[in-house]
Amino acid sequence: MWLVTLGFLPQLIAFYLPYTRRLLSDELASLSLVCSQLMLLIFTFANLRLPGMPILLLGLVCNLGVILANGGFMPLTVDAAARLVDQTALNNLAVGERVSNASKDILLPETGILLPWLADRFVSPPFLSYRFAFSLGDVLVAAGTFWLLLIGQLRTIQSTESGDT
Amino acid sequence: MKKTINHFTLSFAKINNTHLQVALMLLTLVMLVLGAGAPEDVGTIGR
Repeated sequence: MWLVTLGFLPQLIAFYLPYTRRLLSDELASLSLVCSQLMLLIFTFANLRLPGMPILLLGLVCNLGVILANGGFMPLTVDAAARLVDQTALNNLAVGERVSNASKDILLPETGILLPWLADRFVSPPFLSYRFAFSLGDVLVAAGTFWLLLIGQLRTIQSTESGDT
Repeated sequence: MKKTINHFTLSFAKINNTHLQVALMLLTLVMLVLGAGAPEDVGTIGR
């Protein structure tokens, strides 16, 4: 628990808290993201025996790999951004720069991305009111978490039933 | 008012170790998922 809290803290400061994220430069925010993900990687590795953790670890490695390969931020393809926001909003974004100070993403053209298949290139379907771009690593993280919760729940049910009999 | 306070006291008394462990586990998982994943919310673009 403490390792996850310690690991999440740099991201909380750099991306989630409005007051602190304004104070950090892009370099510090990037450093926070990489350090945070490294600590979460250690936590995931230490808990590898839990169901779903190997999938979650793979997702984390994918995300961290593409982040490290592209200068410390998650690359967001211009194509994915164009599918998320209108042209006016897109025109206000600069290619090669962070999408906003609340974001872990940097806007890059497909050709300028290293490991492009691991970037934020997929977009949630238009019929969903909550729109977001996500990566293959995010899918693996979600799948690992789902598996962890599902197996955990099944084990609880099994132990309850065996306790009843 | 006294009834409401009693109700809350009773509710908190029902919280045991297992509840706390589940809550902490969920909190850990939320932090892990938020930290490990990097989906880009449309609301943060250009903000």
